[in-house]
Amino acid sequence: MAGTSIPTEAGLLRRHLMLSRSASRLQRLGALAARGALLLVTCSSVFAVIFIFLFIFRDALPFFGLRGFAEVFTDTAWYPSAEPASFGALAIFFGSGIVTLGAVVVAVPLGVAAAVCLSDVLPFSVRQFAKPVIEMLAAIPSVAYGFFALVVLAPLLQEKGGVVLSVGACLAGAPLGLLAVVVLSDLLTSRLPDPSRPVVRLVLMGGLCAAGFYGLTQLVQLLLRLPIHSGTNALNVSVILGIMALPTVVSVSEDALHAVGRELREASYALGATRAETLVKVVIPAARSGILAAVVLGVMRAVGETMVVWMASGNAAQIPRPWFNVLEPIRTLTATIAGEMGEADHVTGSARYHVLFALALCLLLICFVCNLLGEWAVRRSKARLR
Amino acid sequence: MRLSTRKLLDRSFSGLGVFAILLMVGALLVLLAPIAARGSRAFVFRATVEHRQFMLEESGRGDHDAIDAEIRAAAEVRRKAYDMIARFEEELEAAGRSERRELRRSLREVKDHLAGLLGPAPGNARPVLLRDQYGQTRWDRALVGLGDFLYVTEYDYSDPSGMGRPLLVPRVDGFRGTSLEPLFAYVEQNLERMLRPRLTFYWRFLFDEGRDAHFFGGIWPAVLGTLYLTIGTMLIAAPVGIASAVYLAEFAGEGWLISLIRTCIGTLAGVPSIVFGLFGLAFFINTLGVSDSKSVLAGCLTLAVLVLPTVIRASEEAILAVPKTYKEASLSLGAGQGSTVLRVILPAALPGILTSVIISMGRAAGETAPIIFTAAVSLGRPLSLRQTLSQPTPALPWNIYNLCTEHEAVDQIRHVQYGMVLTLVLLVLLLNLAAILLRARLARRLAG
Amino acid sequence: MNGVTVELASSLAERQGPAPEPKDRLEEPVITAEEFSVFYGDNEAVKRVSLDVPPRRVTAIIGPSGCGKSTFLRAVNRMNDLIPGCRTEGLLALEGQDLNAPGVDVVTLRRVVGMVFQKPNPFPKSVFDNVAFGPRIHGVRGKPELTETVEVSLRRAGLWEEVADRLSHNAMALSGGQQQRLCIARALAVDPEILLMDEPASALDPRSTARIEDLIGELRADYTIVIVTHNMQQAARVSDLTAFLYEGRLVEFGPTDQLFTKPRQKQTEDYITGRFG
Ligand SMILES: Nc1ncnc2c1ncn2[C@@H]1O[C@H](COP(=O)(O)OP(=O)(O)O)[C@@H](O)[C@H]1O
Ligand SMILES: [Mg+2]
Repeated sequence: MAGTSIPTEAGLLRRHLMLSRSASRLQRLGALAARGALLLVTCSSVFAVIFIFLFIFRDALPFFGLRGFAEVFTDTAWYPSAEPASFGALAIFFGSGIVTLGAVVVAVPLGVAAAVCLSDVLPFSVRQFAKPVIEMLAAIPSVAYGFFALVVLAPLLQEKGGVVLSVGACLAGAPLGLLAVVVLSDLLTSRLPDPSRPVVRLVLMGGLCAAGFYGLTQLVQLLLRLPIHSGTNALNVSVILGIMALPTVVSVSEDALHAVGRELREASYALGATRAETLVKVVIPAARSGILAAVVLGVMRAVGETMVVWMASGNAAQIPRPWFNVLEPIRTLTATIAGEMGEADHVTGSARYHVLFALALCLLLICFVCNLLGEWAVRRSKARLR
Repeated sequence: MRLSTRKLLDRSFSGLGVFAILLMVGALLVLLAPIAARGSRAFVFRATVEHRQFMLEESGRGDHDAIDAEIRAAAEVRRKAYDMIARFEEELEAAGRSERRELRRSLREVKDHLAGLLGPAPGNARPVLLRDQYGQTRWDRALVGLGDFLYVTEYDYSDPSGMGRPLLVPRVDGFRGTSLEPLFAYVEQNLERMLRPRLTFYWRFLFDEGRDAHFFGGIWPAVLGTLYLTIGTMLIAAPVGIASAVYLAEFAGEGWLISLIRTCIGTLAGVPSIVFGLFGLAFFINTLGVSDSKSVLAGCLTLAVLVLPTVIRASEEAILAVPKTYKEASLSLGAGQGSTVLRVILPAALPGILTSVIISMGRAAGETAPIIFTAAVSLGRPLSLRQTLSQPTPALPWNIYNLCTEHEAVDQIRHVQYGMVLTLVLLVLLLNLAAILLRARLARRLAG
Repeated sequence: MNGVTVELASSLAERQGPAPEPKDRLEEPVITAEEFSVFYGDNEAVKRVSLDVPPRRVTAIIGPSGCGKSTFLRAVNRMNDLIPGCRTEGLLALEGQDLNAPGVDVVTLRRVVGMVFQKPNPFPKSVFDNVAFGPRIHGVRGKPELTETVEVSLRRAGLWEEVADRLSHNAMALSGGQQQRLCIARALAVDPEILLMDEPASALDPRSTARIEDLIGELRADYTIVIVTHNMQQAARVSDLTAFLYEGRLVEFGPTDQLFTKPRQKQTEDYITGRFG
C-alpha cells in the first residue's frame, strides 16, 4: 500500500532485485515458451504458403508427366473432355493476358491521375469525401461486379454497343483533341516572328479543329457500324476489371506520391514550374517505383479475378481475330479452373483433373512473380527516397 | 511554350484527375443504382392475390378470411374468362376436322399462358410442380405474362444476312370471328381485378426459405450460410492474425526468419482467390479430411487463410500506431512485456484491430471462388450449428452466380437475383461503414 | 553577481523546508554510479560518470540538451533496454546491487524505481484504472484494496480533491498538469522507493509547474527523487543536490546551494550564468 510505504531507516530497499536462480530460469523459460508459441502462430502464414505451393505442385506435376509441356503452351485446341482429349491452353493464356491488359489500360491512367489529384490537387475536405468512395469500390464483392457485368452491362453492349462506344469516344476524344490542337498550334508557331504569330496560330487552330472533328465523326460512324455479337466479351470484362483494380492502383500510388515529400515539390515550384509540370517532371518520376508497384498490384488483382470473367467474358476458348478485337468473347485461366473443376472433380487422377492444377500453378507463379516485383519496387522506392 | 498554354495544360491535368475521381464516383453510382433500385423490389413489390394465397397455404400467414374473400372475388372475375373458353371448346366440337386441330393447338397455348398468369383453371387436377399450382405472385411478372398471353412472337427473316427480327403478332388474330375473340380484351382489361395487386413489404424475403428453385419464397439459407462462413472465418483468422501481428510488432527483431514471414504474408496476399479454392479442396478436404466433402468448416478454413494477410497487416499497423509512451509508462510501472501487450497495447489498438477484422469480414462475406469447391451448394436447407461441421451450405455470393447463370428460368427470377445482390452488397457495405465510423471515432479519441 | 545568479539565489531561498543540514554521519547512498557509461551503438552518450545519490533527497541533473541527462536517468530503471543497440559499461548500483548484472529482474527493479516522463502519458482509460494499473499488474485484485490504494496515491499526488468525483472519467480529458500529477500518482501506487522524473514540468504551464514543484517538495520526505531538468531555477527551487552534466561527462556534483552560488568548475559557472547552453 502506498500509505504504508514510508521507508524505514534501516534497509531502504526492502526488496531484492536479484531473482533466485531457479525463479529466474523459470521466468525465462516461461517467457521463451510464450514467445515460441506466438512465433509458431505467426509462422502459420509461412506454412500456408508452403502448403499452397506444395499442393498445387503435387497435383499439377502429373499432368506434365502425362502430356508433356509443349501442348498446353503452344496449342489452342482446348477439348479436355473430348475423345481423344486435347489440352491446348494458349487461347486461355491469351484471354487472361488480354483482359489484364485491358484492365491496366483502364485502371492505370485513371488511377494515377486520381492519386495525383488526391495527393496534390484537391482540398482536404474533398479528399475526405473521395476516400470512402474508393473504399466502397474496393469493398464491393467481385460477384456483384460480375452480376452487373452480366445482367446490366452485357445486354446494353449487345443492343446499344455502338452508341455506348461512340459516347465514350466523344467524351474522351473531344477534350483530348481540343487540348492537342491548342498545344500543337502553340508548338508549331513558336518559331515564327512576332507580328504574324497570332494570326497563323488562329488559322492553324481552326484547321486542326476541323480535322479533329472530321476524324471524330469518322470514328463514331465506324463504331456505330461495329458488329457486336455478344455483350459478354473481353471489353466488358476489361472495363469492369479496370474499375475493380482502380482502388488498389489509387491507394498504392497515392502512398508513393506522398512519400516524395514537400522539399522536392517546393524546389520545383520555386523555379517557376506549374503544378502540372512539377507533378509530371518531378514528383511522378521520383515516385515511379511506387507507381510501378501500384501497376503490378493492379495486374495481380485483374489476373487473379475469377467471378467477373467467369460470368461475363463469354468463356470461349479462342483467340479473337484480329487478336486485338476485344468485342469477341474470350476465356481466362481463372474461369477455366472455376468452370471445369466441378466436372473434373470425379475424374481425379485423369489429365483432365490435373490440367486444372497445372493452370492454377501457372496462375500462382504469375502472381508470385508479380508480387516479388511489386515488393522489390516498393523497397526500391523507399530506399531511393531516403 | 506560351504561358497561357502551360496554364491550360496545368488546368487540364487537374481536370483529368478530377475526372478520374468523378468517374469513380460515377462508377459506384452506376453500379449501385440498379442493384439498389431493382434489389429493393425483391422486398417491396405489388403482390397479387396469388402471393397471399401462397403465403396462406404454404406457411399459414395472413388473415384467413380476408384472403378467402379476395380469392372468391378474383375467381368471380376469372370465371367469365373460363366460361368463354368452355363455350369456345363446345363450338370447336362443331367445327371441321382440319380446322379443329389447328385451333386446338392455339387454344392449348392460350390456356397454358392463362394458367401461367392465374394458376390452374378450376376443375383441373392439381399440377405436380409448385410453380404451376399458383399464378403470378408479382404484378410486374404478371404484366410480362400478359404480354406473352396477348402476343405471339414471330421472327422476320427477310434480311438473310442478319439475325431474324422479332415481331409481335396479336394472338387474337388467330381467333377472329370465333367466340374466343373477346377473351383477350377481357383479360387485358380485367387482369387487375383477377390478380388484385397490392403494394406489399415482403421483409420475410430475407428469412424465408426459397421454394421450388426460388420461384417462391426468400433467401434465408444463403443468408445464414454467408453469416456462418463470415463469422466462422473470423473466429479462425482473427486470433491467428492478431497473434501474428502482436509478434511481428512487439517481439520480432530483424532476421531471416522474420523477413521470410513477411515475404510469405505478402505472397499469401497475392495468391488468386480461385487458387485458394483448389488449395482448400486439396488440403482441407482431400488431405486433412476435416469433412467428407464440402462443408462450412472447410470453407471457413479456406477463407481464413485468404483473409489472414489482411488481418495481420492491418492489425500490425494498428499496434504500431499505439503511442510508444503507453508502453514506456507501463514498463516503468514494473509491468512485464506480456502484461504490457495484453493490458495496454492491445486495448489501445483494439479499435484499429476491430476495423481490420470488420473489413476482413466483408471480404470473407463476398468471396466466391474459394468456396466453390469447399463449401457452397446451390440448394439447401438452413443448417444448424452442428451441421456446419460436416454439411455444405448455400451462400449469397455463390447463389448469385448460380441463379444468374445456371438457373432454368434466369429471366423469371431476376428479382431474387437482385435481392440477393442487394443483400450481399448491403452486408458488405454496412460492415465497411461500421469500420469507417469506428476509425473516425478512434481518430477523434486520439486527438482529444 | 549578475542578474541570472540573483534570480537563482532567490529561487534557492524559495525552497520549501529547511535545506538539508550537512549530515555528519555517512549516509548510505541509494544509487551509486562508478565509471558508468551508456552507448548508443558507437555513440557514448554518458561518459564514465561517477556519483552517489543519497536517500530521501531530491537530486537534480542539469545540463544543456543532448548532454545525456535522460539517458542516465533511464539507465536507472533500465528503460534503455527498449532501445536496440543501447549498452552500458561500468557500474550502476542500487544499494550495492548491480543493476545490469545478469540475474536482475527488471520488473522488480521498475517497481522499486518509478518514473515520470516529460510528456504526461496517461493510458486512455479511466482515472481509476490508470492509478490501479500498477497494483493490478502486481496481483492486487480486491476492490477495497484497490480503492484504498488509488485514493492514497491520488492524495499524495495532490490530485484527490480535483478528481474524486470523476474517477471513472477518461484520463485523457484531464488538463495537462492534472495528467502529469495523475502519472505521479500512478507511479506512487506501485509503492516505489525511488522516483525518476524526466523534465516532468517542461510541457506544462507555469501554474501547473508550480503545483508539481510543490508536490516534489512534499514527496521528498518519503522518496528518493532524481529529477532531470534544463531549467536551472527549477533545479535551484526543488533540489537538495545538483549534478551538472556536459557532453556526457559529470562536471560537478554537490549540494544545490553550493553549486549555484560557489561552483567549483569554470564550466559550471559559465553554464549557470548563461554563457552557453
Ligand atoms: N534512442 C537513441 N538512439 C541513439 N542515440 C540517442 C538516442 N537517444 C538519445 N541519443 C543520443 O544520446 C545523447 C544524449 O541524449 P539524451 O540523453 O536524450 O539528452 P538530454 O536528455 O540530456 O537532452 C544525444 O546525443 C542523443 O543524440
Ligand atoms: Mg531529455
